[in-house]
Amino acid sequence: MTWTCVQIEERLSDYLDGLLPAAEQREFRAHVDSCSQCAPLLAQVTHVIGRLRTLEPEPAPAALVSKILDQTLGPRKTKRDWFSWLPMLWQPRFAMGTVTVLATLLIIFQAAGVRRSDITAANLNPVRIFHAADSHAHLAFARGVKFVNDLRVVYEIQSRLQPANNPAPNNTQPSSAPSQQKSPNESQRNQGTNGSFAFVATLIPDAPTRSPR
Amino acid sequence: MEPDAQLVQRCLRGEGPAWEELVRRHSRRVYNICYRFTGNPAEAEDLSQEVFLRIYRTLASYRTAYGGFPTWLTSVTRNLLIDHYRRTRHDRVTDSLEDVMPKVEEKHSPVRTPDKAALASELSAQVQSALSRLSPDLREAVILRDLQGLEYNEIQEVLSVPEGTVKSRINRGRIELARVLQEMGLRPE
Repeated sequence: MTWTCVQIEERLSDYLDGLLPAAEQREFRAHVDSCSQCAPLLAQVTHVIGRLRTLEPEPAPAALVSKILDQTLGPRKTKRDWFSWLPMLWQPRFAMGTVTVLATLLIIFQAAGVRRSDITAANLNPVRIFHAADSHAHLAFARGVKFVNDLRVVYEIQSRLQPANNPAPNNTQPSSAPSQQKSPNESQRNQGTNGSFAFVATLIPDAPTRSPR
Repeated sequence: MEPDAQLVQRCLRGEGPAWEELVRRHSRRVYNICYRFTGNPAEAEDLSQEVFLRIYRTLASYRTAYGGFPTWLTSVTRNLLIDHYRRTRHDRVTDSLEDVMPKVEEKHSPVRTPDKAALASELSAQVQSALSRLSPDLREAVILRDLQGLEYNEIQEVLSVPEGTVKSRINRGRIELARVLQEMGLRPE
């Protein structure tokens, strides 16, 4: 079959969209290749279709969606309102604060001897955190109690030593010259070496060894 | 991604977020059809709103048996565009085609070295101008086939015309568009 130019024009899109049977496709091609009118037409239509398909869709106006939603659902609170605080995270002030806090924590951890390898997922278990905090609190309380008790012992020793020591200088050296008077510290030291310490030691055997912690 | 049909069902149950998702998913497509048909961004925006308003009101009449949701949406868009065209035909008769035709010689000035985006924008404007010179029947056929990428059977469903008519309109539309663009200076390299 020989195709006419009118037929070529009528079936142009069938050819371009691959809707022609193989035999007709060949006949179509044979005509176009030998026709000075149909060849440019096919080239131009092919070119235009190619350009149309490369055209990017136009962006819709930014307010279109909200206008449609306002008209259909009524004025509403957008979902963005819930997350309106998110952009604040990117502000330099907030970033600086975050970096400072992290650096401080890092320094504290390093000073406390906490190594990253010591921290495992198990450490973050709330039960473990609670138990650790609880035992630390009890330990701190017990140490505090012990310290107060130790102080009481020290004061008791001092108060027992005081009445025994004070009369001594007055009785033995009632008219001594000021140049010969010893300071209370010195007298205490001497008396301590003279046997008072032994007395305290017998009263509370471990008193000198106990120190407030 | 949740299928359109499922979103429609959720919309019918009164779920606002499902409708929002449908609008977000298809608004650009509807806007583009309207824009290519009218050639006017403001008009296209108004028409897009009308399309979705109509869809919202008639959503209960949508059945999956009609075909995909996009096809139904395109069909509603097309009907509204044709109504709009008929309504405003009288106003347009007074418009001179020369006013909307871009001056090709000016656009192809040799001293200009436009970048890719500028070239795409120029081509878009030329195509828009050429499309406006086609009859509505041919214009819509070319828009649906070559700009929206619909298949022949989908176009047949949207336009509610026989397959032969669809093929004929697409073919005549393409040839007419190619001739207009050739007059405007767009030729194969």
